[in-house]
Amino acid sequence: MLDVLLSQVAAGLVLGGLYVLIAIGLSIIFGLLGIVNFAHGNFFALGAYFALTLYQYLGWPAVLLAPVLVGVVGMAVERTLIRQLYDKEPLVSLIVTFALALMIEALLRLIYGGIGQPFNQPPFLSGIYLWGPVLITKYRLTVFLTTIALLIGLWAFMQFTPFGRILRAGSRDPEMVGLLGIRLPRVLTAVFGLGCALAGVAGMLAAPLWTVIPSMSENAIMPAFVVVVIGGLGSFAGAVIAGLLVGVITALTIQFQPDAANAVMYVFMAAVLLVRPRGLLGERWERFE
Amino acid sequence: MNTGKSSLVVPRRQALLGAAAIAAAPLARPFIGYAAAAETIKIGLLLAKTGDIAAQTEYLANGTYLALEERGNKIMGQPAELVWLDEPSPQGSQQNMQKLVQENKVVAILGGSLSSNGLAEQATAAQLKIPFVCNNAAATDMSGKNCNHYTFRLNTPVAVQAAMFAPYLMGYGKKWYFITANYAFGQDIAKSFKEILIKAGGTVVGDDSVPLNTPDYSSFILKIRQAKPDMILGGVPAGDLSTFLKQWNEIGMKGTIPVCEIAIGDTDIWAVGQEAATGLYTSLWWYDNPNNPPDEKAMAADYQKKYGKPAADKAWMGWIAAKSLFESIEQAKSTETEAIIKGLESWKGGTAANPYYWRKGDHQMLLRNLVVQVKPKITDKWDYFDVKGVVPQNVADLEKVFGDPVANGCHMTAT
Repeated sequence: MLDVLLSQVAAGLVLGGLYVLIAIGLSIIFGLLGIVNFAHGNFFALGAYFALTLYQYLGWPAVLLAPVLVGVVGMAVERTLIRQLYDKEPLVSLIVTFALALMIEALLRLIYGGIGQPFNQPPFLSGIYLWGPVLITKYRLTVFLTTIALLIGLWAFMQFTPFGRILRAGSRDPEMVGLLGIRLPRVLTAVFGLGCALAGVAGMLAAPLWTVIPSMSENAIMPAFVVVVIGGLGSFAGAVIAGLLVGVITALTIQFQPDAANAVMYVFMAAVLLVRPRGLLGERWERFE
Repeated sequence: MNTGKSSLVVPRRQALLGAAAIAAAPLARPFIGYAAAAETIKIGLLLAKTGDIAAQTEYLANGTYLALEERGNKIMGQPAELVWLDEPSPQGSQQNMQKLVQENKVVAILGGSLSSNGLAEQATAAQLKIPFVCNNAAATDMSGKNCNHYTFRLNTPVAVQAAMFAPYLMGYGKKWYFITANYAFGQDIAKSFKEILIKAGGTVVGDDSVPLNTPDYSSFILKIRQAKPDMILGGVPAGDLSTFLKQWNEIGMKGTIPVCEIAIGDTDIWAVGQEAATGLYTSLWWYDNPNNPPDEKAMAADYQKKYGKPAADKAWMGWIAAKSLFESIEQAKSTETEAIIKGLESWKGGTAANPYYWRKGDHQMLLRNLVVQVKPKITDKWDYFDVKGVVPQNVADLEKVFGDPVANGCHMTAT
C-alpha cells in the first residue's frame, strides 16, 4: 500500500503545482489591484490555446512564447477594462470580470470551435520514471520542476528587485507608493500582465494533460480560488503551501473515496477557515478590512 | 429642369408625416411581429452552449440546422425557424423549455444533450404537453420507467447498448475495472455492465465513481495499473473521456489494457489526438461507413461542404432527430401536438434492409448500433475508426434486443 500512496503523493504534488501557478497569479492581482479576477481561468485557457497555435505554426520551441502573449493580452485588458474598476465597488469588478470570462470563452469557441483540440506532450518528454515504488512521467516531472523554478524566481524577483519592492509596498499602501513619485498605473498594468502570464504558464503546461477546450477554464478557476482562500488572500507562501496540500489531498482521496475527489478541497477549505479565518498564512491587510 | 428648389429641402408637411411615422413605428411593431409569427413555424432547440458537452452540442446543432436548410427552411410550405436556448443545468433546462413553449411559442422541441438534463426535460415536456425529441441523452430510464407520451428518444438506452456490446468485451477477459462518472449516465453504465459481467461469472476488480469534469486522472490510472484488470469499462462522458485517454497515453498505459465504452462521440476521440487515441466503442453512426444509405451520404457531403470537416456522429444524431420531426409535421399537415406525435410514431428512416423508427410503445428509436475500434495507426486527422461490427447482427432482432416496453418499465398513457 505504501508504494501506491507514494505514487499518489507524487501525482498530487504535480497537480498541486499547477494549482499553485494558477492561484499565485490570482493572488498577486488581488493583493495589489484589489480585483477578484473571475476571468483568471480564461487566461489559463488562453495559455493552452496560444501554446497549441504556436506549436501548430512554429513548432515546439515557440510554445514558450504562449505565456508572454497571455501577459500582453492581460496588460491590454488592464489598460482598457480593469483600470475602470479600481474605484468601484468590489461587486462591480466581480460582475465585469465574470462577463470577461464568458466573452473570452465565447471568442475561443468562435475561433477554434467547441470541439477539444488534440495536443499531447512533446516526444522528447514522453516516457515514465520508476523510482522504487514511485511512478512519475517525464512530462509531469518537468511540469513540477518548472513550477518550482518559476516560484523560486518569482519569490526572488519580489524580494530582491526594485520592482518587486514596489509591488510589495504597493499592495499594502498604494497611496504612499504614489506619493513617493512612482507611477502606479504602469505598475498595476505590469502586475495584471504578470498574473495573467503566470496563468498562461499553467495553461501551457496543462495543455498536453488536460483537454484543450474552451470550457477548460472552469476546471482551473475554482481550485485557484480555493487555494488562494486556504493560503490566505495575497499570501505568496500561503498559496504555495495550500496548492500543494490541495493536490495531495485530492490524490489521496481518489485512492480511498474517488467520488469525493472534487469535493474534498472545499471540505478542507471549510476546515481551515474554521480554525484560521484569514487562511493558513493570511495576515490583516488594512485596505481590505 | 431647375425648379428652383434644392433636392435636399424636404417640405414641412412631409417632414412632419415622416417624423410621425417613425414615432408610430414601435406601436405597429407588435402587430407586424404577430403577423410574421403566425406564418413561421418555430421549433425549439435545447442544447448546452457552454461546458465540456458543448463539443458535442456544436455538432448536434449543426446537424439540426442542416436538416432544416435541406428543406429550404420550410415545413408545410411555411417558413420555419429554430429557436436555440441553453441547457445550463437540469433545472435551468426546464426553465428554458418553459420559455420556449410559453414565450417563443414553439410547436416541438429538440435537444437533451446530457442524461441529467434529458430526464428533467422529458418531465417538463409532459407537463407542458409539447413533443420533445431527445437527440443525445442515453439514460435507460428515459424510455423505461420515466417514458411519457410526449418524449421520443433517439440514443440507444445504456442497458441495451451494454447487452449488445458485451459479447465483444468478453473476449478481453472477465476481470473488469469500472471508471464511470458519478451522474445518471455513468451510474447507468456501471449498473448495466456489472449485471452482465457478474452473470457471466466475471469479477469487478475496481470500481471508481468519478466526479464530472475531473481535470486529472493520474491518480485513477495509478489505481488501475495496480489492479491489473483485463480491460477497463469506461463511463466518462465527452471531454472527460478525452482527458482520461490523453493521460492514459501520457502515463504509458496505451496498448497495455483495452479501454472500452459505450455511447461516445467522435469528437471525444478526435480531441485526444492521433498518438493517444485508443479503445473499442459503440456508436450510432460513422461518416465513413460504406454502408450508409444515400441520404446519409448526401448529408455527410453537405456537412463537409458547409463546415469544412466531416460530420461527427452527433451531427447525424442532430440531423436525423430533426429530419424525423420535420417530416412528421409535414406528413401530419399540422402543428398540433397530437398530430405531430402520431406523425413521429409512423415515421420510418434508413433503408428497407436497415430501417430505423420510433417504437410506439415507448417512443424509443430502434436502430442498429456500430461497434468501432480506433485504428492501430491513424493517418488522417478525422478517420480514427474501423467499423468492427453492427449490432444486432440481424435486423429482425431489433425488437428483441431493445426489450418489451412494458417489461422495461414503460407504461405510457395517451395523455
